Amino acid sequence: MKALRSVVIAVYFAVAAMPLAWMAVTSFKHTRDTILAQPKYIPALSQSAPHSPLFQVSLEAYRKLNAPYAGTDRTYFNYLVNSVVIGLLSTVASVVLGTFCAYGFSRFRIPGGRDWLFFILSTRFLPPLAVIAPVLTMYRQFDLPNTHLGLVLLYTVFNLSLSVWLMKGFIDDIPRAYEEAALVDGYSRLRAFFLIIIPQASRGMAVTAVFCLIAALNEYGFAMTLNSYRAVTVPVYFAGLQKNIDGIPWPQVAAGVILFVVPVIVFTVLVRRHLLRGVTFGTVKQ
Amino acid sequence: MKWGFVGPVLALLILFNIFPLFYNIVLSFSNAELSGGGWQWVGTHNYGVIFADPKYGAAIRTTGLFVAVAVTLELILGFVLALALRDNFPGKTVVLTVLLVPMMLSPAVMGLYWNLVLNGHYGILNQILGACGLALDNQPQWLTSNRLKLFSILIIDIWMWTPFMMLIAMAGLNSIPRHLYEAAEIDRAGRWTVFRRITLPLCAPLLILAVLLRTTDALKQFDLVMAITGPDDAATQTLSALLYQSIFRNFKVGLGSAYACVTLVIVIALATVFTRYIDSIQRRQGRIDA
Repeated sequence: MKALRSVVIAVYFAVAAMPLAWMAVTSFKHTRDTILAQPKYIPALSQSAPHSPLFQVSLEAYRKLNAPYAGTDRTYFNYLVNSVVIGLLSTVASVVLGTFCAYGFSRFRIPGGRDWLFFILSTRFLPPLAVIAPVLTMYRQFDLPNTHLGLVLLYTVFNLSLSVWLMKGFIDDIPRAYEEAALVDGYSRLRAFFLIIIPQASRGMAVTAVFCLIAALNEYGFAMTLNSYRAVTVPVYFAGLQKNIDGIPWPQVAAGVILFVVPVIVFTVLVRRHLLRGVTFGTVKQ
Repeated sequence: MKWGFVGPVLALLILFNIFPLFYNIVLSFSNAELSGGGWQWVGTHNYGVIFADPKYGAAIRTTGLFVAVAVTLELILGFVLALALRDNFPGKTVVLTVLLVPMMLSPAVMGLYWNLVLNGHYGILNQILGACGLALDNQPQWLTSNRLKLFSILIIDIWMWTPFMMLIAMAGLNSIPRHLYEAAEIDRAGRWTVFRRITLPLCAPLLILAVLLRTTDALKQFDLVMAITGPDDAATQTLSALLYQSIFRNFKVGLGSAYACVTLVIVIALATVFTRYIDSIQRRQGRIDA
């Protein structure tokens, strides 16, 4: 039984990790070495015959990320900056709004409270493509397509369900006695919120921020339909390469994907203990 | 005071979610086009087109098949992995972290990258299969064969989301009190009986939660379809892909909105089941705490 378990883990691990490992290998190749019938998987210093498994290690792909790409005056880093700026701004907005809202639901009797909370949760289930036509019409009224602000707004709203539900879980865990003592001492409700709740909830806010940021960085449906220039994000840029007539420059893609996902992986490790909460909207606490 | 705390969020969500839902219904009775300009009422014409043209029904079937296969396989694989990972072993934290990584990545970005893995001519998957003595002379064309395209998208989805099922299943297994197993051992219960009478039923609530979460998410499948085949491939056209095709390639906003309304009926029905379920779980937990 024990042996069987080890085999299951080993086999799945190998299969699941292979694409990630292959991505790392590919990012150090020349394009010519990525589209051969015989795989090249052993790094070497010099070039060798097409059928040998050796490939010449090169940092060319990482260097080329800084060069303008086919037919545009933009580099990969323009798109990366777009992604990061939009992701960070929307995350801050979502977490701040979500914390206020979660505090309200946690501490006050709000008429229809549970129904409102489930309304908030259910907004997450709407497929972006099913609401995009009205959103686009609305955005056009305010000149928001192709702007950073448009996406920041949309991602803020998109992440509210997550931030409200996660923060409600964290704030529910803070004993009411703390702020009640402060209120008795003559603090206003708002002052008690800022001086007592916020410091207690700051770790929860950081965890929530990580999940909001990852969701915003990874989003594709809205970003692609609302943007054709200016605020193009990394997922939209990469997805657009699929139609490239000259073939896809795989080493650059691999290098770009690695720069994009390494921060996400680091964040995942940082919030590992809260991962379960994060992916279940705080409905499961460990 | 209390509305000051919750009001802004509710206002934003109503503006960005409830308003579009109603506006969708309005648009669905019009012949609005993407380019803007005036539009006229066309009555139920759009709905007539949807129910007459077989591709709309086909997209619902494709999505249903995708969701059913993806969620089932992810559940089974994830649960098996969670069972296998019950004991501690050296390096477990590292292994777990690597296994969990795919679900945090961007489907659109990874979808493009998987084109390299799955390519029929130079993809590493066929090369590994070849090295194992499989499929040597008849290389499967994962990305272009009509029979395999949807399967390829399923492979990527399973790669990304099995860890999600695994994570929730592990939490379910952890929550089972150890004394139940000790009691079963004293009663000399067989391995299979223990699994069927203790492990599975006690994990079930969390597994159902995981299945519902994954189902509502898989229903939106769009990113991987775009990355592997584009939106207009009959073999892989999901609901979202067809919506994209109608609105942004054929510029038929009215028609797209009508289809969005049909889609939303399905989504909202599922979302209702889901929120009811969470409600019941939380109420039950509350009773245990109190």
